[in-house]
Amino acid sequence: MTLDFGARTQLGDFSYDARFEAGNEIVVLFGHSGAGKSLTLQLIAGLLRPAEGRIAIGGEAVFDSATGLDLPPQQRRLGYVVQDLALFPHMTVAENVAFGMTGAGREERLGGLLDLMHLAEYRDRRPRSLSGGQQQRAALARALARDANLLLLDEPFSALDESLRVELRRELIRLRSELDLSVIFVTHDLREAHLVADRLAVFDAGRLLQFDGRERVFRQPANRRVAELTGVSNILRGRVAEARDATLTIEAGGSSLRAPVPNGWRPGEGEAVDVAIRAERVNLRRLDPDDPEQPNLVRGTIREELGYGATHTLRFESALGQPVEVEIAARPYEVLGVAGQKSWTLELPPEDLHVMPVSSESESGAPRASATTA
Amino acid sequence: MTALRARAPYAGVGLLIAVFAVFFLLPFAGLLERGLGDSGAWDAITSDSALDALVLSLWTSGISLVIAVVAGTPVAYWLAHARFPGKGAVEALIDLPIVLPPTIAGVALLTAFGRKGLLGGPLDDWFGLTLGFSTVAVIFAQLFVGAPFYVRAARAGFASVDAQYERVAHTLGASRLRAFARIVLPLSWPSLAAGAALCWARALGELGATLIFAGNLQGETQTMPLAILSAFESADGLTTAVAMAILLLAVALVALAAFWLLSTRGRGTA
Repeated sequence: MTLDFGARTQLGDFSYDARFEAGNEIVVLFGHSGAGKSLTLQLIAGLLRPAEGRIAIGGEAVFDSATGLDLPPQQRRLGYVVQDLALFPHMTVAENVAFGMTGAGREERLGGLLDLMHLAEYRDRRPRSLSGGQQQRAALARALARDANLLLLDEPFSALDESLRVELRRELIRLRSELDLSVIFVTHDLREAHLVADRLAVFDAGRLLQFDGRERVFRQPANRRVAELTGVSNILRGRVAEARDATLTIEAGGSSLRAPVPNGWRPGEGEAVDVAIRAERVNLRRLDPDDPEQPNLVRGTIREELGYGATHTLRFESALGQPVEVEIAARPYEVLGVAGQKSWTLELPPEDLHVMPVSSESESGAPRASATTA
Repeated sequence: MTALRARAPYAGVGLLIAVFAVFFLLPFAGLLERGLGDSGAWDAITSDSALDALVLSLWTSGISLVIAVVAGTPVAYWLAHARFPGKGAVEALIDLPIVLPPTIAGVALLTAFGRKGLLGGPLDDWFGLTLGFSTVAVIFAQLFVGAPFYVRAARAGFASVDAQYERVAHTLGASRLRAFARIVLPLSWPSLAAGAALCWARALGELGATLIFAGNLQGETQTMPLAILSAFESADGLTTAVAMAILLLAVALVALAAFWLLSTRGRGTA
């Protein structure tokens, strides 16, 4: 099953423009609320009509503004679980699940689906009498009952407590491999996105900022905004002093950092760039920061400290002229004796630095406080 | 002490409720006392004029109800979902017959559909069709005063059904008609049933508009309320009026009870 999606539309002040494709995988649409994630699902399902674009499910177009094609929702073969589930309250679980079934062998397929979702013993119950997790599974079963290989899930686990969420995520990953599904999964939860995504589409203000494999998005965000949204707390502004082979030398606040040339893009000398590094990738060292043999060492002083039990978040004032956040596990925190020492040498390993273009995307609109200065 | 003081206002309220209840129950008691104590009552309600009126009342109010439901349901559904400028005005216009005195409704119907009315005039001139003072006029009058009760209740019922259910039904392959029949109708059924019952009761009791627009011809336009009015004004007066009133009351109670049973059962199995 494949999905080819491209749509552009305008809703009041909100302009939307995105295109991506999905194969047999879980594509997570990630972003803050109002970024356009749920809208994307509604466009795919045909509940909203874009101004322009083309949407094809399994190679067959269901919407094409060029030819005027626009199939109504009931003719698009997909399963859609809306955020509030919307189980039909006047029907039993079995009636709910069977609602979208057609053709022969309904009873048999219904039984199979109820077994698959562990709902067999609740088949004659009304949705209201089910627990949150059971309702969730009933809604999922109902969406699967259409025998569609494209599943749209809108924040499907948001109403559940953590233990149930873990269980259902596991179930979803199992279903995907058992039923040969393409899943489009909307969430604003970064951890959830990381856990279920094969590929990640990062939305912000109606734009698709980056669409890549999960690791690629987390390790090599396309720009400052993607880095911010995916939880990169250190985004340093600098200037390329030297671009040689596979290595860049970047000046920031009088210090210089070495970083690999990013994939598919090569900044010129003198160009302004953003350099991202996750807080947990920065190391605390006792080395002399001016040692010419050791690259990417920077002097720093702890200005703020937050203890989360398992980890500590330290905020440094650094020789880069910009604050640097460091996340350190409880054990090294104790071994290093961080509590008793304010002044450290920060190591920013070159392989963990990611250089991004200073895009117009992150510069436009109201100035956003980056995570490093917030 | 405090308990006594706390109970005092409740005692006052209780008395008020009792007086109010007596006020409503006493007229029914009077009706029964007068009707059952009078040997002429049975003759009165088995007279031709009473039976004619009863039969006419039942079938005209039935047809009014059917028209109100068939035509009113799409209107109510549209009003529950559409958003357009002046929607409030449209809704107020639909509610207007509810608050309008029935005699005014009768005069208004006459000026529209009467022989010299806006539409009635041309109909009479061109086709020789006269609506006023016919059984059709009886139905018109009942529809005019009764249908708004149904539309109002149905609109509220449809609006109370989360639109998300219908959207989900569409994504599950249901056409608009199927989504309406399987989702909207069962979920709004109590409102629709209540509205239909009110509409029918209002049509059955219609007097003022019918009298002015349809007249009072036995077997043709004389419905039960009109027959009761005529009896009341005739020589033997109250005896016949009371007997017919009891008959109409009994029929209405039986019909509403049957309707209530059907609608609650319908809810259970839907």
